[in-house]
Amino acid sequence: MRRPAARWETTTGQVTGIALLFVAGGIFGTAVIEALGGKQGTAMVLAALVTLIPGAVLWLWTRPGQIDRATVFSAVAGTWLIVSLFGALPYLFAGTFQRTGTGFPVVLADALFESVSGFSCTGSTVFGSHNLIGDQGPGILMYRQFTQWIGGMGIVVLVVTVLPALRASGLGLIGAEAPGEGGDRLAPRMAQTARRFWYLYAGLTALIAVALMAVGLSLFDAVAHAFTTASTGGFSTRDTSIGYWDSVAVEMVIMIGLILGAANFTLHSRSLASRKPVHHRDPEFRSYIWLLTGATLVVTILLVDDGMGLARALRSAAFNVVTLGTSGGFGNATGPGSDGDFVRWAAGPQLILLILLMSGGCTGSTSGGVKVMRLIVGLSHTRRTLRGVRHPRAVLPVRYGTGVMAEPLVERIAGFMVVYGMLVGSGTLVVAALGTDLVTALGGVIGSLGNMGPALNRAGPTASFVDGFSTPARMVLAFLMLVGRLELFPMLLMLVAPYRTLQKQIRSH
Amino acid sequence: MVGGLAVCSGLIDLIGTGSDSMTLLVSGSGMGLLGALLFRRVAGPVNVRPADIIAATTLAVTLGILLVSGLYLVTGAAQQPDDALFEATTGITTTAMSVLDPTGLGHGLRFIRAGSQWLGGFTALLVGIVILPFFGFGREFADRSRSGGYRPLAPDEVSATRNIARLYVPGTGLIWAAYMLAGKSPFDSLLLAMSTVSTGGFTNSPDEFADPSVQWVAIAGMLLAGSSMVTLWHVIVGGRGLQRQTGLAPYLGLHVAGVLLLVLWSTGVDIAAVRRLLFVVAASVSTTGFPMDVPGEWATAAPVLLLLLVSVGAMSGSPSGGLQVRQHRILMRLALREMARQLHPRAVLKVRLAGRVAGEDTLRQIVILQFLFVAVIFSTAFLVAVFGLDLADSLSAAVHATATAGPVRGIDGAMLDPADWPRTARLALLPAMVFGRLSIYPAVVAVAALLKLLRDRIRLRRRYMARKYGADL
Repeated sequence: MRRPAARWETTTGQVTGIALLFVAGGIFGTAVIEALGGKQGTAMVLAALVTLIPGAVLWLWTRPGQIDRATVFSAVAGTWLIVSLFGALPYLFAGTFQRTGTGFPVVLADALFESVSGFSCTGSTVFGSHNLIGDQGPGILMYRQFTQWIGGMGIVVLVVTVLPALRASGLGLIGAEAPGEGGDRLAPRMAQTARRFWYLYAGLTALIAVALMAVGLSLFDAVAHAFTTASTGGFSTRDTSIGYWDSVAVEMVIMIGLILGAANFTLHSRSLASRKPVHHRDPEFRSYIWLLTGATLVVTILLVDDGMGLARALRSAAFNVVTLGTSGGFGNATGPGSDGDFVRWAAGPQLILLILLMSGGCTGSTSGGVKVMRLIVGLSHTRRTLRGVRHPRAVLPVRYGTGVMAEPLVERIAGFMVVYGMLVGSGTLVVAALGTDLVTALGGVIGSLGNMGPALNRAGPTASFVDGFSTPARMVLAFLMLVGRLELFPMLLMLVAPYRTLQKQIRSH
Repeated sequence: MVGGLAVCSGLIDLIGTGSDSMTLLVSGSGMGLLGALLFRRVAGPVNVRPADIIAATTLAVTLGILLVSGLYLVTGAAQQPDDALFEATTGITTTAMSVLDPTGLGHGLRFIRAGSQWLGGFTALLVGIVILPFFGFGREFADRSRSGGYRPLAPDEVSATRNIARLYVPGTGLIWAAYMLAGKSPFDSLLLAMSTVSTGGFTNSPDEFADPSVQWVAIAGMLLAGSSMVTLWHVIVGGRGLQRQTGLAPYLGLHVAGVLLLVLWSTGVDIAAVRRLLFVVAASVSTTGFPMDVPGEWATAAPVLLLLLVSVGAMSGSPSGGLQVRQHRILMRLALREMARQLHPRAVLKVRLAGRVAGEDTLRQIVILQFLFVAVIFSTAFLVAVFGLDLADSLSAAVHATATAGPVRGIDGAMLDPADWPRTARLALLPAMVFGRLSIYPAVVAVAALLKLLRDRIRLRRRYMARKYGADL
């Protein structure tokens, strides 16, 4: 296909087009797996074609234009929305969520939910006892895992690797998508930086896959779980998630993989460059490990106090703390009511898990949540303000590690916290108004905003989101997943650029 | 003041059986004498720092709680010290999670319960209008300007205290009279008026609000108590119209939105039901917490809405708890500014409220206040959960305690009785009540100052020991 001479100048269109091409490639690859071992190969090829055509048209007929802040947000958010929409096609064409007595709108909503949950690396699922994961073909299962893998490092980051025309604007795009406060440069050119991130990510995935195979998983399961471990996604090819293997070794590999996935990838890069680990020097990573260790110890003590054996308590506590603290969302429960089913635990440990749902991992990682760095700065900011009461004339900086945080960044983090708090409050009310109880609604909203996966009460690790939330409530949660994955602002401000363009056109006419 | 309350209670007890009057009179006189002695003998520092005022306020509230719990113990109203402490704390902090059965108490003790709330409400007003602006928290919103010959509410600390009393005492009298007109006995009306004006919420019988006219008086009283003293001062003394009070619309809007949502979620709603729903919403927004069952079945979202209303609270400058409406309005504008900043990173954007620009220090303090508010809720909920409550009740109890909002509603909307909870869980709620009553900041600053004092003492002791014993250590 030849490119037309005059192409429409739209960055959003160009970025979305390339992203759709990547997704179409992924669907096609997993369709081959489905064709080899399942029944829905043709449906998936059709989905790949339907995704490919608009992707190719957008890629060929558009070119990146001028990028201001508003355009960056609409480009990133628009790309994620459209990719999530087309990502639901394989489920729709394969009839994955088709059940007797269920209308098309619900099937469409379920497919969308699963797609958004996949790309945003949330890991919440509408599969359950009514529609088992185990009944699906290998292609569909691998496609679910692939959506999390591609969403983990970021679709836009992937696009930037092959779109040098964006030049410096690539940093803005990556910054709008990357978890944390803006993107880090690993190389002079943004395309190189994006490529390095993806190499690191692919390397980590390969490493986890090999480790999982070494502890007894099949090639299919190992690759599938490596995809969702490196991306801290949490989808599994088994109905009982990691609990299916009931193996300490598998859980250990998953935990280490999740911690590495939830660490800042810049640290991995620096460690590789200097050939020695530098993670321990990073204040965020240090605090993060302390947070996970402390939470594990407290949860273990509370579980033992509640009558669980020490070994089981430590194992359940460590796995669930790490999987929720990294925004992974895997489960090690072997079934409802088993030791790893944290919704059956006492309220104390559940509350710690709820707090971990909020905290999330490190900046510059694949994890979601508020991020440890923001919490550290928030605490330092609080301490500074309280000290300011005792010493009203003192000039007190906000410290981060051995350095001092710039005031604009502190303000930005404070603003982020405010918006986050408002989204949690309003989201909980809306989800509750759509027929969900307080704890499930609060857990669901915090879990969705933090891209965590399972929530509390009726949406625990062994439950389906169909049981816990009504269809409209699931749509609200899907929106919050995208809001959380893009660190709030791109989704909230995505309509500003189109609105301005519209306004300009109205004025010119 | 607690001594005075005890003496008054002792005298009032004579109306009834008089069984507690002697104990109350003697205890009250003792406390009064001790207070007078301290007042006469201890001189204040020449340079008063904000931190000193804050620490003193926290200390005074804590001392008040201990003294009132002492009264419950010596009169035998509470058999256990922790019950006495809980009742006193819920009284002074205007939380009203009672563990005592008021029907079994004499006139004097019932007056102490209501009186402790009344004093607590007055303290909250002092903290919100006089003390917090004194150390810079929302100083720009303090009513100090005398421009145009206007008489402000808080031109200085002493006048502000006097002016607050000028509104608070007649306000209590007005509500007292209204309750009497609605058919309550003078004594019951007085107790209810004290609990209403302070946003306290103690009641003296299960069917206190059975009469619709009493319900209307309570609704009006709660609306009034949740209004800002500054607004009331502007209207009553300043002669400014209600339409010029910008903070009033969002406050009343909360009530309207709350009632509309509850009506939407309820089935078979008639006028009586709307009145009861308005009562429930007003009790939540003003954080008074007067109990009332709603008609029909509870929608799943109704307790969530009420919990949110409780955490929002009423207007700043009122004795209500929660984060309060002005803080929420500022936080919303801050959120909008943050969004605008995402688009224009270099723009200088100010947050305006009621025609005034909020200073960056104030904005910072309000963000930290939100942070601390959430931190207090979650840490309290964790402790309460560890001590035996389920997750929903723990969260609900923590929010109610921090917002000083009275009886806790369960997830099904039913009122929970704290007497059924483990003693440790009840005790775990007490710090949150004190923190909430003191608008979080003063209590946190006082605790931080106390910790620093302890740390300095330990360091000094170590140095002293090191010097004294030198090489031996």
